[in-house]
Amino acid sequence: MRAEIKKIEEMMEAAEYVTDPAIAMSVHLAMTLKKPLLIEGHAGVGKTEVAKVMAKMLETNLIRLQCYEGLDAAQALYEWNYPKQLLHIKLEESTSHSLTEKEAAIFSPPFLIKRPLLQAISETGTPPVLLIDEIDRADEEFEAFLLEVLSEFQVTIPEIGTIKATQPPYVILTSNRIRELSDALRRRCLYLWIDFPGFEKEVRILTRKVPGVNERLAREISRFMETVRTIRLAKVPGVAETLDWAQALTSLHADHLDEELVAETLGCVVKDADDVKRLKRELATGGIARFVAAQS
Amino acid sequence: MAVARDLTRAMLGFGTMLRAAGLPVTTGALMDAVRALEMVDLMERGQVYLALRTVLVSRMEEQPGFDRCFEAFWKFQADDGQGLEGLVAAVQPRGSEEEPPTGGMEGAQQKQTQIALEDWDEGEAQEGEPLEVPGQSDRELLMEHDFSTFPVEQLDEVARLTVQIAKRLARRVSRRRKPTRRGGVVDLRRSMRANLTRGEIIELRRRSRRRRKVRLVLLCDVSGSMDLYSRFLLQFLYALQNVFGRVETFTFATRLTRVSELLRGPSYKSALRRLTEVRDWSGGTRIGDSLRDFNREWGHLVDRRTIVLVLSDGWDTGEPEVLAQEMLSLKRRAGRVIWLNPLLGNPSYEPLTRGMAAALPLVDHFAAAHNLASLRELAGHLTIR
Repeated sequence: MRAEIKKIEEMMEAAEYVTDPAIAMSVHLAMTLKKPLLIEGHAGVGKTEVAKVMAKMLETNLIRLQCYEGLDAAQALYEWNYPKQLLHIKLEESTSHSLTEKEAAIFSPPFLIKRPLLQAISETGTPPVLLIDEIDRADEEFEAFLLEVLSEFQVTIPEIGTIKATQPPYVILTSNRIRELSDALRRRCLYLWIDFPGFEKEVRILTRKVPGVNERLAREISRFMETVRTIRLAKVPGVAETLDWAQALTSLHADHLDEELVAETLGCVVKDADDVKRLKRELATGGIARFVAAQS
Repeated sequence: MAVARDLTRAMLGFGTMLRAAGLPVTTGALMDAVRALEMVDLMERGQVYLALRTVLVSRMEEQPGFDRCFEAFWKFQADDGQGLEGLVAAVQPRGSEEEPPTGGMEGAQQKQTQIALEDWDEGEAQEGEPLEVPGQSDRELLMEHDFSTFPVEQLDEVARLTVQIAKRLARRVSRRRKPTRRGGVVDLRRSMRANLTRGEIIELRRRSRRRRKVRLVLLCDVSGSMDLYSRFLLQFLYALQNVFGRVETFTFATRLTRVSELLRGPSYKSALRRLTEVRDWSGGTRIGDSLRDFNREWGHLVDRRTIVLVLSDGWDTGEPEVLAQEMLSLKRRAGRVIWLNPLLGNPSYEPLTRGMAAALPLVDHFAAAHNLASLRELAGHLTIR
């Protein structure tokens, strides 16, 4: 059984995702227990990536529902294709079809626009991966609606009938913790908290994702980021920032960090005026050595 | 088969431990845990740990408690000696059994208030009995009374009135939200339905954009005399609950405690009683530090659609600079910051304490919340813009 988790780890690495045992275990359980997986963590730690990699691993479709404030059932589940319906009614005007016939025609599957949730449920063949991204952005009401869908995996469309998933999709939910999610939703899900990567993991991510980066630079960048994340900033930089920065540094043909270089490229690391100021102050007092040479 | 049964028994025991440590673990989750264990190598501690954590932890904050429990559980499973009860006691979060210090005049006074409040809560238990409705003039009288001046027997009645007022307000707000015939966006779905017989759309159906609900974050000072006011405010706001998207509640005196989950249970009244147990009696109020803890750990709950209510008399034993800085950080992110100070009900009161003076410029609205009339008035301010 251990081999399965190992295999997941390998497959994730093969799909260009630097993983760790906790992530592999969550993915393993989500697939075997067939339960939705809720992933929380700071912005830019690779939450969404898990779903993408999972779809790649399973060689199945990834269906994504991006949540936002005001998202409702019509945008998440299904909607009728109104322009098409109107056109059809126009075309049918001169025919002798009865009202019931006309109604049946325009409320039939060809006039249905499937939104992500319905798409995930009605897919035949291998079950897809359904990514419900940033669920914390949606309203509480939507969360309740989602719970219903997630517990039944069936949808009733009054005009057509009930559609039930032949095989329930794998569900990944992500949250940035803009608001607290309900306990009911949490109870239904497996849970994974992805923290900022540790030093070793970040080095691995860098050497993996940024081709031009050498060992020394990767280690210095990771150490620098580790220190930066201990400073109280308004917006703590994530892995995305690390990668951006490494990309910028390699395109400047840097092979190690120095004061001047850091000062010039600081905008890649922190993106808030106050944070830039604070970080500059910290750099001025301790010097770059404090950030990089924390090595033990 | 026997293995599966043993696993189930072990998991139920583990569940008891987790619950004792404050994790809300359901039986369903424990059954999932058993299934999860079948998927991993039981001899490997790391795997058992990760599998159980994935299934049984449902928010990041629960992880330390879980780790503590797992440590004890694994040891227990390994050397199998002590009884499970001893184990459960061992993992209980520290501090819950601390006795409140009862020295000095102030302590004695606090003790008295506590006893009085407990009596009141006991009275609440018999809910079926219809309570006498006071006459109109009586009620008007009650409206203006400061909460602290009511005799214990009357608290019950006042609490009921609080809820009544809140419910009336809630109805008014919900009526306001009904869709109008004009304005808003065209609702194509209903328009299609309405015009089926006509061949083309003649009459448009519209729907107005649903008003997004405002969220509330309450930070209640529960030190000493403030406790009574906190209770009425909580009762009032929770009765208003369905008007808001969500209500998050924290209490503080010297440290911050999140009590939202406590208050969300089926028995709201017994939960209120439990608040007394959460309270820390060790003297002084550290408002600034409590706010800093809030900003650091729970800052993500506050955005432009959030109203933050601070209920406190402003007697801060910490540094006013800290309070000012944290209030500023709160104000930057929140839609509105309201400070409620029951002492404001006293006409001769002036906000001269260092803490209050530091916080006041950073507050959008400053009000009393010391009697029913002021609570009713407060409802009018619970909107953004």
